[in-house]
Amino acid sequence: MKALPIVIAALAAFAAVRTRRRRRGRGSSRPRGAVAARLRDANLLGDTGLVAGREIRERVRGRVFRVVTIILFLVVAAVVVIPTLGNGSSETQRVGVVGGSAAFDAGLHELATSVGLSAVVVPAPDWKAARAALVAGRLDVVVDAAGRILVPKPVPPTGTSPTARFALTLASNMGAHRAFARAGLTPAQAAIVARARPVGVESLHPGRKARSTAETTALVGVILIFVVLTQYLTWTLMGVMEEKASRVVEVLLATVRPLQLLAGKLLGIGVVAILQAVALVAFALLVAEAVGSSVVQGASPEVVAAILVWLILGYAFYSWLYAAAGSLAERQDQVQSLALPLSAPLILGYVVSLTGVSSGNASLLVKVLAYLPPTAPFAMPTLVGLGAVTWWQFLLSVLVSLGCTALVALAAARVYRTAVLRTGSRVRLRELLPTFGREASSSAASTSR
Amino acid sequence: MGEALEVDGLTRRFGPVTALDGLTFTVPSGQVVGFLGPNGAGKTTTMRAIFGLTDLDAGSVRWGGTPVGPAQRRRFGYMPEERGLYPNMLVAEEIEYLGRLHGMDAGTAATATGRWLERLEVADRARSKVESLSHGNQQRVQLAAALVHDPEVLVLDEPLAGLDPTGIDAIGRVLVEQARSGRCVLFSSHQLDLVEDLCESVAIIDHGRLVVDGTVDELATGGARRLSVRVEGDRDGGWARSIPGAALSKVGGGEVRLVLDDAIDSDAVLDAARAAGHVTQFVFERRRLSEVFREAVGR
Repeated sequence: MKALPIVIAALAAFAAVRTRRRRRGRGSSRPRGAVAARLRDANLLGDTGLVAGREIRERVRGRVFRVVTIILFLVVAAVVVIPTLGNGSSETQRVGVVGGSAAFDAGLHELATSVGLSAVVVPAPDWKAARAALVAGRLDVVVDAAGRILVPKPVPPTGTSPTARFALTLASNMGAHRAFARAGLTPAQAAIVARARPVGVESLHPGRKARSTAETTALVGVILIFVVLTQYLTWTLMGVMEEKASRVVEVLLATVRPLQLLAGKLLGIGVVAILQAVALVAFALLVAEAVGSSVVQGASPEVVAAILVWLILGYAFYSWLYAAAGSLAERQDQVQSLALPLSAPLILGYVVSLTGVSSGNASLLVKVLAYLPPTAPFAMPTLVGLGAVTWWQFLLSVLVSLGCTALVALAAARVYRTAVLRTGSRVRLRELLPTFGREASSSAASTSR
Repeated sequence: MGEALEVDGLTRRFGPVTALDGLTFTVPSGQVVGFLGPNGAGKTTTMRAIFGLTDLDAGSVRWGGTPVGPAQRRRFGYMPEERGLYPNMLVAEEIEYLGRLHGMDAGTAATATGRWLERLEVADRARSKVESLSHGNQQRVQLAAALVHDPEVLVLDEPLAGLDPTGIDAIGRVLVEQARSGRCVLFSSHQLDLVEDLCESVAIIDHGRLVVDGTVDELATGGARRLSVRVEGDRDGGWARSIPGAALSKVGGGEVRLVLDDAIDSDAVLDAARAAGHVTQFVFERRRLSEVFREAVGR
């Protein structure tokens, strides 16, 4: 339970930051000092920066964000901490020994290590006293060097609790030693026999090797990318839709260009998404380090980098599509039918990649999906985790994704510009096509921006 | 005095519908200009066109002789017909944000926001969410959002709709004040009596075309002369029924209303009235704007 204080401290720190921010929100929003004023006025990105700034402020301040973030942090803490619970003291077996010797005690330690435990040897004057200590809970196992073992609860042959593992190994070991003695082996011969190891068994098909650290990291990363993308893309979709529904977009577009407004919005939500993802990963690593969990310990750095790169690229690619979709609708029910076709490639990439990284093999499908921008955010980190991709292949996929994102952005901005000011029923893409043609042919006479 | 806003030959078609059909008029600076027309006449499309929110098939919008682009629009303030503010944002923060989008720095935007909220009597709601405000107060906030950056051109789509008399007075005062300080103020409304009180001039459009424009005085005194006459003891206006060139338009409550054609001298009417009895009222009437409007749009 040494994890608990750390988790509580982390949550308290998080809560403190939140409260401070909230207080600040309640007070005057005027800049406090000259530095703050200069920072606010030094708006490097122009209107896009202002739009992004508002988006970040409002999102982070929102109740949904607070609740979701707390839940995510709790889930991460649980995933990291729970497997380590119950280890603690019981990883050490307190062994009461009757009639032991230095050699016997050394043997007990060696035995405990062989099953991933450690032993504390407690010499007992006699069996009765040792039994009493076991009843009182001061010992986990009592062993008489003459050949008796006592545990609190019956131990099934397949038992996996620390005490069961220790007792079963101890029992078979002591049984073997008794047999060696009967067979008349010298201690040296007995030691050789006791250290016998089985020979390997070969098979026609290659077996599933143990999952490497890189693969585990990729697995966790693919899940993280999916969770973060799903959450923040939904925000993008709803955010654009709400701006249209509240008609505020008309006021904004009277002074900001559509591309600037859209880019600022996506940038703002994207920054919140990436910061949250980075905070979650850092939190997971910190907690894991503190409690000695093996879930994320020693995460492979290049896989972590690949996950981060593809989280950003995935968001960049999809956010334009979701924003364009949001501009077509102004009610919740209108948006449902739009979200489904968009999320289909997302889910495909996720499921195929998750299967790939779980099986430990890069299937042809994963390799193909790794070059398609809609699925690459999942498939490419998977290939990196599996070690099945070279740096130039990775770079190629990044370039393909960037190129497609630029094209998608242009098309999305166009749809957005035309659709976001049309109110009433949901705008169908079909309806926008003639507009595009007309725009192109009459651009000379148009005040279009 | 500032520059005039010119709308020149605006044409916009939506499929088979022609929303704007070569619409041309000018909003001089220093005046409140009422923008009138029946529903569907093209008022909102015109206002959107001024802000580049709709494409045009032809025509242009100029300010001070220069075609209006994004740089000019930063100096414009807009209040759309369908009010638009972020419902979840705090009033003051929202207005500051819109001010900054018009190029103000943070400090100036905050000061201007405070000033306008005070001026429009909603300063006590500065830290409330927009959605928690009443309709009238939201309207005031929306106007503050259009004014925060001290615009040279103010375009307001139905700014008085749904307001109580206090709200109408408050917003009306601001519009007149803005015009007096040399700005162009264009606002649309269906409340013609209010327009008559607030505006120096009007532009009336129908089917996307300008049908009448001019100062309110010109329009009120233009057209056929109208007389309102009262003769003591006369109830049915019998004396007025047979004057050549003077058509009886209304009789009621002892008042006789006549429309004179160009040929007749009003003295002839006065003589006829005197002949009928003691004349207690003899007034040339101004046309109400609503009459001008109905005449102009033919319904």
